[in-house]
Amino acid sequence: MKKVSLFGLGAGLLAALTFTAEPASAQQSTLDIVKSRGHLRCQLGTPAPGWYMLSDTGKWSGFDYENCRAVSAAIFGDPDKIEVQSVTSAVRFTAMANGESDMLSRTTTWTLFRETQLGLDFTTVSFYDGQGFMVLKDAGIKSALELKGATVCVATGTTTELNLTDYSRTNGLDIKPVVFEDSNVRDNTFFTGGCDAITNDKSSLASTRAKAPDVSIFKILPETISKEPLGPVVRQNDSQWKDIVQWSVYTMIAAEEYGMSSTNVDKVLAETTNPEIKRMLGAEGDLNKGLGLEPKWAYNIIKMVGNYGENYEEFMGEKTVMNIPRDGSPNALWTKGGLLYSPPFR
Amino acid sequence: MAELTHTDAVFTPKPSQPPPPNTVGVVGWLRKNLFGGPFDSVMTIIGAGLLAYFAYGLFQYTIVNAVWEADSYRECLDVTQGAGACWAGVDKWMNNYLYGRYPDAEQWRVNLGGIILAVWLAPFWFEKVTQKIAVGVSAVLTYPFLAGALFLGGDNGLFMQAMSSVALTLFAAVWLNVAACYSGRRSLGAVLVQVTGFAGKDDRLYKWVYLAAFAVGFVVAFIFQSTWNLAPVQTTNWGGLFLTLVISGIGISTALPSGVILALGRRSKMPVIRVFCTAFIELFRSVPLITILFMAVTMMPLFLPVTLNPDKLVLVIVAVCIFAAAYMAEIVRGGLQAINTGQYEAARAVGLNYWKMMTLIVMPQALKLMIPNIVGNFIGLLKDTTLVSIIGLYDILLMVRASGQDPKWLGMHTEPMLFAAFVFFVICFAMSKYSQHLERTIGGGYGRR
Amino acid sequence: MAVLEKGSPHRASRSLSEWLHDERVRSVLYQAIVAIVVIAVARYLFINTSENLQARGMSAGFDFLSTGAGFSIAWSVLPYTAGDSYFHVYLVGIGNTLMVAFVAIICTTLLGFLVGIMRLSKNWLIAQVASWYVEILRNTPLLLQILFWFLAVFSLLPRPNKSLSLLDLFYLNNRGLYIPAPVPGDGFNITLIAVLVAVGATYAQAVWARKRHFDTGQRFPAFWTGLGILFGLPLLVFLVTGAPLTFDYPALKGFNFLGGASVPPAFCALLLALVIYHSAYMAEAVRAGIMSVSHGQTEAAYSLGLRPGMTLRLVIIPQAMRAVVPPMISNWMNVVKNSSLAIAIGYPDLVAVYMQTSLNQSGHAIEIVAMVMLFYMSVSLSISMALNYYNKIVQLKER
Repeated sequence: MKKVSLFGLGAGLLAALTFTAEPASAQQSTLDIVKSRGHLRCQLGTPAPGWYMLSDTGKWSGFDYENCRAVSAAIFGDPDKIEVQSVTSAVRFTAMANGESDMLSRTTTWTLFRETQLGLDFTTVSFYDGQGFMVLKDAGIKSALELKGATVCVATGTTTELNLTDYSRTNGLDIKPVVFEDSNVRDNTFFTGGCDAITNDKSSLASTRAKAPDVSIFKILPETISKEPLGPVVRQNDSQWKDIVQWSVYTMIAAEEYGMSSTNVDKVLAETTNPEIKRMLGAEGDLNKGLGLEPKWAYNIIKMVGNYGENYEEFMGEKTVMNIPRDGSPNALWTKGGLLYSPPFR
Repeated sequence: MAELTHTDAVFTPKPSQPPPPNTVGVVGWLRKNLFGGPFDSVMTIIGAGLLAYFAYGLFQYTIVNAVWEADSYRECLDVTQGAGACWAGVDKWMNNYLYGRYPDAEQWRVNLGGIILAVWLAPFWFEKVTQKIAVGVSAVLTYPFLAGALFLGGDNGLFMQAMSSVALTLFAAVWLNVAACYSGRRSLGAVLVQVTGFAGKDDRLYKWVYLAAFAVGFVVAFIFQSTWNLAPVQTTNWGGLFLTLVISGIGISTALPSGVILALGRRSKMPVIRVFCTAFIELFRSVPLITILFMAVTMMPLFLPVTLNPDKLVLVIVAVCIFAAAYMAEIVRGGLQAINTGQYEAARAVGLNYWKMMTLIVMPQALKLMIPNIVGNFIGLLKDTTLVSIIGLYDILLMVRASGQDPKWLGMHTEPMLFAAFVFFVICFAMSKYSQHLERTIGGGYGRR
Repeated sequence: MAVLEKGSPHRASRSLSEWLHDERVRSVLYQAIVAIVVIAVARYLFINTSENLQARGMSAGFDFLSTGAGFSIAWSVLPYTAGDSYFHVYLVGIGNTLMVAFVAIICTTLLGFLVGIMRLSKNWLIAQVASWYVEILRNTPLLLQILFWFLAVFSLLPRPNKSLSLLDLFYLNNRGLYIPAPVPGDGFNITLIAVLVAVGATYAQAVWARKRHFDTGQRFPAFWTGLGILFGLPLLVFLVTGAPLTFDYPALKGFNFLGGASVPPAFCALLLALVIYHSAYMAEAVRAGIMSVSHGQTEAAYSLGLRPGMTLRLVIIPQAMRAVVPPMISNWMNVVKNSSLAIAIGYPDLVAVYMQTSLNQSGHAIEIVAMVMLFYMSVSLSISMALNYYNKIVQLKER
């Protein structure tokens, strides 16, 4: 009996904890699982300014977090029914493939390899980024091609690491990467001169610069050495769930295009004669059926989360530490010369 | 007395000479301990110089130049230019460091859980209390369920409810026992028997009395706990020092029993059991904890059916427990080997079977010998828990690192790390000092040294 | 005399309960149950795994080992260029891990002995300093210490163009430590052979001296002779063959120093953190070992007329070593294992390059984690085999 009770001690508690987690059947769709659980499991990275930030009150916010809020608003009519899973980049895809997270929204680059060999589906692009370099101003470097033999700080487990190697090999630069798991350590190493340059998506370089004791001494080089389309990711083989996440993002983009925002959406709904807006906001037709959502799903997203422009302004705009200009960048609407383009709501 | 004037044969001792002035007092101490010779003196001066230099630097950074009130790290930097600590940010983030993202309104549950554990184990230090082993075993076996129910909240199913009721009942029993002992009885059991009027009757009836009392307590506790209405808090919101203590606490409390089982298995005469235990111990002892943690979060979900969908925290706790058990097994084995063969033979000779021999004769002696190593292992486990930050659990270390990414406190990392180091030092140092105290008080009688 | 056996052999037939209470039967029964349970669990896990892999469209197998890895590694002991195979990455990671662990083990042992002896010093201040050194280091997490050394010490070194230098041969800056690299010339192999010969000769000489000491009681200065052979012979050969060795000196070119040999700051920080952290444990082992030798041993040695130096060398240390070596070797094992924390500061060890980067880029979690565990296990098992061998040698020969 003693043996049994001693084993029971370890096994019992863990078993109890394990089985309290609600079982997810393989046949059930992700939407059903999320609905029955009552909240969305949203995977973010470890805190990074602009993208996903943890405040001293323990609240999450950020540009990528808004994607999760949009999906939560679409499903529950409440943008905050979210369980945030903040995961280091090294284990992000396994956490996704394991069924631990329902969706992943964390500056993850869309690549063929990732889409086909990791059991993942990329939904759409919510931010067009590109990799660049940042150096000290007084190093007198004007182009990335002058970085011959330089030491460059880079984050591990990212496409950034591979792009850097490719760029170095293409141009015969013999760059020495110094790889970090923790972005704090990486940035600090760069500030104190442990690297000649730091490479990352250009948006993240901006936030790195914002951390520095003296912001004015750094310079981002003009070259963009890669395409980094960032967007939410879901598990493979659940097209309905993929659609929900995809169209939640499209809703925010389309809302901006049609001039709807969280403040005026009620007014627009009351006054509009545009049939597409009516269909979108659930006043006409049954576009929600295929998604398995309430008719007001898109209305909820716009009302509770806002349109793309609002979010951009709040987390990436000029008043933030990120300070990334939007006009003329790929992240402007297609009507303004950018790449953001939502398929029609029809 | 006045007659005693003649002076013969009265011995008046002269007071002894004082010791030479340079061997007593401050000077003597200094000479003896610091300036015993030229080499000693040089070492002392170098040591004192280095010590003063570091102490001064630390004092300047942490106290003199530090900023205690600010709203952002930039503000701190403007004042100190990096020459002093920015404690304002640490203060603002303190709640996160301690509780993680556990909702503010629910944090009393964490505190209550801690208090219950402390109160539960307090009778250990009461002199008059009997059956201390039962106190420890009851806490280790049932407290985790009570704490789990308290921390998780929500509806956790009948099993958890039943187990936390058992825990509540035993908790009450422990303190009733304390009361009984301090009112002059032998134990709670004696009181029960007396009250119910079975005293002096057949001994075999006693256990039915105990069982009935337990059943009554259980029913009361079950009804009591079913009135609870705790808001559910997901484990992803657990964090900070609280999470560190949960993981290491479970690791520590399971390590000893499972380590004992594994060690006995390794020393068993049955080849199959011996081989399995040895393989298990060697496998998990020889790889770094970080690889075990990686295995837990990346591979375990592949090993288990999809329907189980285990919580990441559970996987990590399992990994930590396995790791701790393998280490503990080797410590216990060392302790067992130190016990004289005569003890085994004597136990066998008086007719004890294997389990009685182990629990009554061998283990008590071995465990006493192993106290320093066991506590050392616990301290190591507590420190190693920081590795869970690498796989993304918000223990105190990852919280500390996250605070430097808050836009308001961007770039703040030295101060939180100093804070975390201080917290770990206080806890671990207290543990190691207590173990030294235990070693002196318990281990003393057994003739080592 | 009749041999008594358990389980009464007298009766031919036994009841079931008697049979069950036979210790031998029980033993077999227990083992069978354990074996069946373990095999069943293993089978269950295996089936789950293959189902899960299939369901997720992930492949298993070691084919990926021969495909090229598209990332570069900042610093490696073994040569590596981007595009080499994943298996090569594995080897490079092992090389880097062993490099830092090997150097750390040597330094830890030396520093640990020093601090352990300091703790026993009669000088109050020194003993106190040493004891606080041990307490502080043992009671804070290693991960914190590694980050401290990296962020607070090595990051604050000057930039390459303002390097600290020693004789213009050694340079220290925040990119690492640069030293001149020896470049062997044509006839250098002969010197290497001479080194081997010298090692052999030293050993033979030591064996002979020991035998002579045992047989005749006469002492022979084996240590100094050995030292002479060990260094003198190779040096002589080296000079005779015309000193065929040049040095490649580091020099600042562009961003960084080129030429010479170098180690990155992450290596230095990791090394320092590992050495200092484990030296505290080593110091405790050394202190406990020396304390474990009873004072009577010293007194007995003195009464036999041994001088203090000889007492220490012939009586105290050999006995203390018996208590010091086992914890010391398990400490070495910990150094190897803890070097995996390199990942926090960007030193490309096995875990960082293989279990992080390669795992992320290739997605073969099971294979990679298994290979990494295999490496650590084989290192640990070989160290513990050496320990067992040592224990067997030094075990008290009991009467």
